[in-house]
Amino acid sequence: MAQDQQAGSSGNELTEEFVKEWRDTAYGCFSSGHKFCREVCPVMQVTRNENHSPTAFHANIVAMEQGGLSVEDVADDYVHCTQCGACELRCPNTLFTGDFYRNRTRTVDVVKAVRSLAVQTGIEQPEWKRWVELTDERKSEPVLDGTPVTQEHVRDWAEGLDLPVGGETILFCDCEAAFYRTSVPRSTALILKAAGVSFGLMQDQWCCGGPMAEMGYTDKARRFAEHNLADWRSAGATRIITLDPHDYIAFTQDYPAYFGDEFDLEIVHITELVAELIREGKLSLTKPVLRVATYHDACRLNKRKGIYKSPRDIMKAIPELTFVDVDHVTQWSYCSGAGGGLKVERPEIAQEISRRRMAQAAELGVDTLVSACPWSERPLSERGAELQDVIEVRDLMELVADAAGLDYGGVHV
Amino acid sequence: MSSVAITDPIVGELQDILGNEGVFTNKSSLYNRTRVPAPFPVHRWNQLIPDAVVLPRSAEEVSEVVKLANRHRIPVVARAGGTGLADGALPLRGGIIVDVKLMNGIHEIDLDNRTVTVGPGINMLKLNEELRQHGVFYPDDPASYPCALVGGRIGTSGWSLIGSRYGHTRDLVISMQIVLPTGEIVEVGDGGGRKLRKSSTGFQLKHLFMGHQGTLGIATEATLELVPRPEAEFSAFFSYPDYDTAWRSTGAMTKSGLASLAGVVLFDEKKVDYLRRDDEAYIPQPDNVRCVVASAMYGTMDEVKPAAKRLMRIARETAANYLGDDVSQGDWASRHDRYATPLHGRNPDGQVVPMCWHCEDAAINYTALPQVTREWHAIVDRYIARYGIFDDWGMFAYTSGAHKPWGDYLVEIDVGIWEQKLNEDTWAAWVSCKREIAEVALKYNGSITACHGATREGDVELVPGEMGGGFDVMKKIKRALDPNNVMNPGKYLLDQAYDPEP
Repeated sequence: MAQDQQAGSSGNELTEEFVKEWRDTAYGCFSSGHKFCREVCPVMQVTRNENHSPTAFHANIVAMEQGGLSVEDVADDYVHCTQCGACELRCPNTLFTGDFYRNRTRTVDVVKAVRSLAVQTGIEQPEWKRWVELTDERKSEPVLDGTPVTQEHVRDWAEGLDLPVGGETILFCDCEAAFYRTSVPRSTALILKAAGVSFGLMQDQWCCGGPMAEMGYTDKARRFAEHNLADWRSAGATRIITLDPHDYIAFTQDYPAYFGDEFDLEIVHITELVAELIREGKLSLTKPVLRVATYHDACRLNKRKGIYKSPRDIMKAIPELTFVDVDHVTQWSYCSGAGGGLKVERPEIAQEISRRRMAQAAELGVDTLVSACPWSERPLSERGAELQDVIEVRDLMELVADAAGLDYGGVHV
Repeated sequence: MSSVAITDPIVGELQDILGNEGVFTNKSSLYNRTRVPAPFPVHRWNQLIPDAVVLPRSAEEVSEVVKLANRHRIPVVARAGGTGLADGALPLRGGIIVDVKLMNGIHEIDLDNRTVTVGPGINMLKLNEELRQHGVFYPDDPASYPCALVGGRIGTSGWSLIGSRYGHTRDLVISMQIVLPTGEIVEVGDGGGRKLRKSSTGFQLKHLFMGHQGTLGIATEATLELVPRPEAEFSAFFSYPDYDTAWRSTGAMTKSGLASLAGVVLFDEKKVDYLRRDDEAYIPQPDNVRCVVASAMYGTMDEVKPAAKRLMRIARETAANYLGDDVSQGDWASRHDRYATPLHGRNPDGQVVPMCWHCEDAAINYTALPQVTREWHAIVDRYIARYGIFDDWGMFAYTSGAHKPWGDYLVEIDVGIWEQKLNEDTWAAWVSCKREIAEVALKYNGSITACHGATREGDVELVPGEMGGGFDVMKKIKRALDPNNVMNPGKYLLDQAYDPEP
């Protein structure tokens, strides 16, 4: 039995508890039922299958309460979500009743909860199971198929940069950037150094655990969180800088849920910090970047956290960059397809979402798409390379480092 | 008539037509193709599920599915957005749901003849995102604009918020391709080519296939009107001390003859009370604001500027108080999202409870508005007092004539229903309330519905009365086109078409 499967509780009991917890949230959507979410949902835009619509995720729970559906009947539906949060923003309940009733549509939480219920009752998705088992074994996600991701290599990306370990401020490097797109953490580290920000790396960094929680393996995810928190505590850390929006969600939402008030660390996303450093004159960008670029709003920054201004401020501060912007509300319906485990379990849908995102960029006549999410950059790069006029995908920190004249090296393809 | 169960060989035949990936029989696919946003008998959900769901990609696939269904006498129910408020897309007898959401392509944009040809699964907002670059738009603008699909707009013969300037769905769909209940694919319009707005050849078949709630066929393509994106928008909100003053002012504005006037909406006193009580987007107004009228104009700058001046003069002359630019522009811009006010319900003790929304949509002539408003509130008040699970969210009256905003109105009473408390008794009470509301509309020579359709319990019993001899014509047409009653059976009392001749 997997660790996350619960001994002693039957599936029925678990489902009963689950329905009791979520029924009012589900009714908030069901009673409305207007489905404004459908046309902004990146998965629905591709599959057009009503089962994959955010509103179905709530309706299923009402049907479970009525005894019509069981978790076995619905588990597959909930695989079809990137947890981008567009549906929650577009929901009239959030837009127009939220403040008054202190109620907000919580579709992402519902998806995570049903995935967790599925795992607890023994319904596992094969690719997620494999991914989580490998993560559990190696402590980082198996981002390089065929190439071993191991703990002794978790800081290899920093080779030659002479970065200290520990300290009050820790730079947390996510798995994709640490093992695949190493140019992101390298450029980030050099930017921080250039701006005089002192920081260190973790002694023994494990995956943030967020993806495991997103796939329904809550207990395992929590164990990873406990490890990381202990590492930060032993280093005397009070502030964590994240360069990945997924980590930012894990540290600002999952960790506080696990640890409550005890979790008192300051969590900063790199775009917020760098925008501030530029504003305060601590980082000067003087080298021209002769590109025509658009900015891809990472879902977890824009839709989940409302961070859309600081990346744009940074784009505008880069000398001679021609910035072709698409506003952040229009981008509610955009997504790279890389989140929520979709590309692990349903790669063909995720790829189509990526393809459409790059097609939207192509209409702007740009040569570069800039993202601030390492997870989005691999699939978007792959689709960008297939375009008739190839669009290169760069991380915002890579561009900032270019503009600051920093030679960061690393791999960025 | 009972439905014929779908057996494995029939599922196999469906898979032959659509491939395995186009056919679904798993339980959650079935449950999620039956629910609608209108008040829904959740306690009976399991009696309303279909046997199979198909997601076709072409008219040919729809045609093959319908032929198969007709051959085996299996009910077929078309479903587009599933956002209708009259249960058109809800299967009463199981069968096959033909879900057209994958047929959402834009087939042709003809800027010279001002048409766009689309699949029925496309949403208007998405369509307009594509059309924007050409300086044109498709002005079918219901409250469900971000989610309704073109196929459902045809099936219900929808109404548009700005229809007084641009027309409603039936005016904006120039022609369509329809799969008939026996599977033939036909083009219907006014006659002739699919881009012609006016012809006198033959019967005017387009209207026959508008608003039939899926009982006469399935739209598989539609050629739609394109209009220039308006250069200017003018919206104005006015307040009044009482309903009668607001009603007279509404009459004066709508009879003004201003062609750019796209819509006028009258908020009654209860609606303003409700917004004051529970809408956090409501911008506070002094107590003497008892009724509100919203108006909007669209067109070229040369049209709208002088027309707006004239409208403001008419308003002043009819005791209207302009509520200012913030309310006028902000609230008009958010009209679509304001359509959903779930969770705003309160039980009679004032406790907040999650409520579903019923939107009555009678068509009523101008002169009958005050009386209908009074009588509807009185009905709902009785049910609130007796059952404790209903709430009165007030009324709107919207201009409803296409290009002619005077004469008749879509009259809406919004009723909250606490769905979690529904059982057979309270559902029956709701249906009875609904019927009383519809009876009032008919008493004043109105119609049960201006835009949703009258296929639900509480409405449908009154349809033969409203239609008179026309209902016999409906039955004859139904029987002629659908000899085996496979197309959305059980709707609109059309089973009667198959009763033996007396």
